[in-house]
Amino acid sequence: MSGPNEDKNTQLSSHFFGDLLDSIIVDVASECHRIAKLGLDRNLEEEEEEMRLSVQARARVADPSNSSETNTKYVVDIFGQTHPSIATEIFECMNCGRSIAAGRFAPHLEKCMGKGRKARLK
Amino acid sequence: MCLRSSSYTSPKPCKHLADYKLRHAFNGYDSLQNCLKTTPIGRTRVDNHNTKTPRCNFCNGYQGRLYICLMCSSISCSTHILLHTQSKSGHDVAIDIERSELYCCLCCDQVYDPDFDKVVVSEQIKGSCPGRSNKRRRLNSGMELDLKKSKQLIAMRDGRAKSCYPLGLRGLNNLGNTCFMNSVLQALLHAPPLRNYFLSDHHNRDECKRRYGEKLCLLCDIGALVSAMFSGDRSPYSPAQFLYSWWQHSSNLASYEEQDAHEFFISVLDGIHEKESKVRNSSKDDGDCQCIAHRAFSGLLRSDVTCTTCGFTSTTYDPCVDISLNLDTVNSSAAEKTGLSTLSGCLNLFTRAERLGSDSKLHCQNCQELRDTSKQLSISRLPLVLCLHIKRFEHSLIRKTSRKIDQYLQFPFALDMTPYLSSSIVRSRFGNRMFAFECENTDSSAEYEIFAVIAHSGMLESGHYVTYLHVNNQWYKCDDAWICEVDEGIVRASQCYMLFYVQKLLYYKANKDLSCNVSVESR
Repeated sequence: MSGPNEDKNTQLSSHFFGDLLDSIIVDVASECHRIAKLGLDRNLEEEEEEMRLSVQARARVADPSNSSETNTKYVVDIFGQTHPSIATEIFECMNCGRSIAAGRFAPHLEKCMGKGRKARLK
Repeated sequence: MCLRSSSYTSPKPCKHLADYKLRHAFNGYDSLQNCLKTTPIGRTRVDNHNTKTPRCNFCNGYQGRLYICLMCSSISCSTHILLHTQSKSGHDVAIDIERSELYCCLCCDQVYDPDFDKVVVSEQIKGSCPGRSNKRRRLNSGMELDLKKSKQLIAMRDGRAKSCYPLGLRGLNNLGNTCFMNSVLQALLHAPPLRNYFLSDHHNRDECKRRYGEKLCLLCDIGALVSAMFSGDRSPYSPAQFLYSWWQHSSNLASYEEQDAHEFFISVLDGIHEKESKVRNSSKDDGDCQCIAHRAFSGLLRSDVTCTTCGFTSTTYDPCVDISLNLDTVNSSAAEKTGLSTLSGCLNLFTRAERLGSDSKLHCQNCQELRDTSKQLSISRLPLVLCLHIKRFEHSLIRKTSRKIDQYLQFPFALDMTPYLSSSIVRSRFGNRMFAFECENTDSSAEYEIFAVIAHSGMLESGHYVTYLHVNNQWYKCDDAWICEVDEGIVRASQCYMLFYVQKLLYYKANKDLSCNVSVESR
């Protein structure tokens, strides 16, 4: 199937492709040359450092041998306090005056104000 | 109006280019001006008006890179350009025909001259008739509001301040699925402009009640919140009054269920704005509004729509209080390479030139016809506090489902927004030429420092929000009532949902004021 014409066509198309590729490569090189010379990418080092720190941080967090902060339950906060899972502070509802525990305030207020899905008809 | 730009450096010319300039000034450039041709996408080439293909004088070749001599306009290919220089003394500088870049034949390198760039850009602008001129908006830098006054207020506080932790750190009780609210409040109350505004008592609660007598004022409630946070009392605070006020304001969002933190953020800023514009009896648009919400968060986005046939660009401006970014998932080339999504990748995606489909042709004023267009966003004016929202929640209207994108996103602690400014984007559209484009905005810095991160963990419906705060060089995790110290690595590795950056200059000033004065007062 490969006569002299076939070879010539293949050669020609390879040649054109090579030309186009060269042209694109020089284009990109010229563009990058300008960007570098004009200092438009001056933060490259800082960006790479940030990237390195993030990758390092992720690796440390993913390491099972590390006691991950996110997994440990809180014992005390920085002020030495502990808090229950549902807030127990009591205060008066500003809509109806009843005494409500903080952790249950939102669902109470929703009904109290007549809003939301579970609203009580006033 | 010639503005000096700080975003690029003008490289020193090689001695051959310098010599040429001394001897011939702009003669070569001027004669070239008529031969420059710009395509609608901004590529400029040298075109001698001949219909014949340009060929090398030595080998008659037309392939590869061709250069036109600045002195005699003879054309040589890259192989023979050196021969030309050697044969004619003083013919040292040529121009790359394809890209209109200066080339020094003796240095064998691309060289740069702002005067040449000016010529090229003038030609490019002439060819594409730019959009309407940009009125420079001065940033109200009244953010150095009474920092002295707020310092005094902090110092006078309750001696109950437990140990040497910065003031303002205080847990917020979860009132029932309100971690979305707590996380945003922690970030807002530590945004320097807002914190200073309320600590300096710019919204005086007594005066507000006296003047307007309204029972509900979101600003009063935020003020009360700030006072409570900075009081020195470290037991967790219950923002019940605030919740009550907010539900009155945004009744459509008032329900006991987990909400979207970003939606809440927008709603609060809106509430502040509404109250302030009522107070001032003004209906200024967001761009010029002087309410504290807009003074802190308002920026300006620029949208350029370019006709791909003739290059005519029409420009519009829209104010914004934050920027919502799509994740640069593995569909984008950068993420594909490293497998990592980055904030800069998202910002690049946001500011890339996007070709609108053929089914959304627009009417071009120049061509007087419907044409294919390319749209590009950029930031015309940066805010004092930059809030970046990562769109992790996808809502499909067709399938009526929502899903969360858990993909990790890398983000920096120090962020330079220069590449996303309109000045940079427009400049890159003109081939990164050295030119004082009219949209230069050099009165505000583009360097930012992070101060808060809102992270989301878990599923869409049953997730949890926490806020990481950076105060006095230490990171703290605010998980409802719990405030803990964390290592910066934890923050970097977290799944960020909203990122809060403040202009660097403001950041360092703000942190100086917060350095705690340990006053052990015996009571």
